[in-house]
Amino acid sequence: MPSPSSLFKRLNSSKKSPINQSAMSYLLPTLSKKAEVDSVIRDTIDKVLVLRFGRSSDAGCLQLDDTLAKSAREVSKFATVALVDMDSEDVQVYIKYFDITLIPSTVFFFNAHHMKMDCGTADHTKWIGAFHRKQDFIDVVETIYRGAMKGKLIVNCPLPPERIPRYQLLYKDM
Amino acid sequence: MADNFREECSNSNTKSLVPAKELFLNKRKKGKEASSQFEYCKVCRLNHDQGQRHKYFPSHKKSLSIYLSRFESRLADVRFFLNNPIALRPENDSHNRFWCIFCDVDVLEIGSSFACNNAINHLSSADHLKNLKHFLWKYGGVMDCLDSFRILDTDVRKWKKKCVSLKKEAALSEERSVGASSGISNDIHGNHKIGNFHHFETNNNCSISSSYLNDVTPLQHSTHEYQIFHPEISGDANAVYVPTTLSNSTESLYSANNLNESRMNQQPLSSGSISFFTRDYKQVHQSGGQGNEESNPHGNVHSGAAPPWLDSSEHSLMDYSLESVSAANGSVPNRSEKSQKLNPKRVGAAWAEKRKIEMELEKRGEISKSTCHPDWLPNFGSVWQSGSRKESRKEFEMEKQNLSKGGTQYDVSSEIKPYISKRMHQEAAKK
Repeated sequence: MPSPSSLFKRLNSSKKSPINQSAMSYLLPTLSKKAEVDSVIRDTIDKVLVLRFGRSSDAGCLQLDDTLAKSAREVSKFATVALVDMDSEDVQVYIKYFDITLIPSTVFFFNAHHMKMDCGTADHTKWIGAFHRKQDFIDVVETIYRGAMKGKLIVNCPLPPERIPRYQLLYKDM
Repeated sequence: MADNFREECSNSNTKSLVPAKELFLNKRKKGKEASSQFEYCKVCRLNHDQGQRHKYFPSHKKSLSIYLSRFESRLADVRFFLNNPIALRPENDSHNRFWCIFCDVDVLEIGSSFACNNAINHLSSADHLKNLKHFLWKYGGVMDCLDSFRILDTDVRKWKKKCVSLKKEAALSEERSVGASSGISNDIHGNHKIGNFHHFETNNNCSISSSYLNDVTPLQHSTHEYQIFHPEISGDANAVYVPTTLSNSTESLYSANNLNESRMNQQPLSSGSISFFTRDYKQVHQSGGQGNEESNPHGNVHSGAAPPWLDSSEHSLMDYSLESVSAANGSVPNRSEKSQKLNPKRVGAAWAEKRKIEMELEKRGEISKSTCHPDWLPNFGSVWQSGSRKESRKEFEMEKQNLSKGGTQYDVSSEIKPYISKRMHQEAAKK
């Protein structure tokens, strides 16, 4: 895995190019408009939709993007991965709707229905942070897919607690 | 001394008691450990730590029934050759392999004179029976069906008698037809053989065409194409497979069981001579020239001709029938029905079905591609709201409206109260 500083340099140089795409996420579609997000949610049928909300400049997002890009093909039969750029104005309504405060945040959908996952953290509606391994991500997506195919809207996280990133949720700055 | 003896006895008694208890505990521990150890179930093709319980699970039982039914269908082929022994050509040895799932062994037919010779001998052997019993014990099969997975000695004896009689017949017929058949079989450059082939073709074209839809086509095209269209057939011996189709059709050209002996022009047929035809045909193909052109008016893959499904202007009868046969064979078995039947209880099933229909209509162009409403939001269960997801969406939309009207994000009017669960409410009500 290249170090974050070297990635940053690469990103800075890529900013000069007319096509501003991050080095890690060029394989995955980056969405910057609400209409695009809507269409990807509505058009992904009978497959898990993994929507990552974050910034391509953030180190944590880059790590997650790397994992997602490498695993996207392996889960392609039952999952679709897409990235949403948080800085885009059009997408702010989703940032508020999904209550995204920490990045990277990954929200899972199945047939336009939101899938929750109980990881032992405070927020079951999304996955916050990166995955330790590719296999962790694949296991999570598989669990969500299996639960969704059985009709469950919330599933239990298959990962052990040590591999789940911890964070604190604040309610209205309290 | 007696005291010492008593002491020793008592000591030995105490010693014998404790180890037994320990042994019992150890056995239980080992049992638990054994059940927690992973083992591979070759029926379900997965590793599990359920131990002996695994074979009673419904998923395993289902996989087992599928596994055994597949083997039974393979066995059915072997049983056919048990009832109708047919000579096996050496070049078709490699096609006639048999994998025994109980013994985990590949039974080859190298050097055997009759089709499925080694397979029949294997299935009637004592080792196979032993392995079969072990398999059924291990994977929970019904013991009554032992006989359906093996061949009984009485059947093997009958089969051997038939083989012996066949050999005698073959020897006799060879003596009779030595002049004619040997001349033709050895003469690879002779033209009259090709002439015969075409004679068959012209005479029996109509009879062949009628049997196309039901059966595999007779060898009218190169064996390479034949194998392309019917890959499942080419897995078995060419000489071996032909009889199974011919036994069904009454009007086919090549008859293993001498059904249409009268149609054959001066060619007495026996079991050995079917392979003669296949060999001849291969040689016709190799010789190239007229045979191929007449049988393949549109060329083939090697000549660079267009595939028949693109060449819609001229469809010869053979091409059409080949297409129909290939379509029948190729499409259905490849698609698994399971993937098409999705669980109707899955999340968003109704929405998915509706959306699929919409997308299909959009593809066809019957309805215009409708962009969804700009205010559309997916179903989302928020963290901070209790109640159903619709309520969380409504709350969000209300907040959005307030924002647009100019209300502050942190509404002073809504008091921040500590969370009180339903149970706490109920307890408070009781008090």
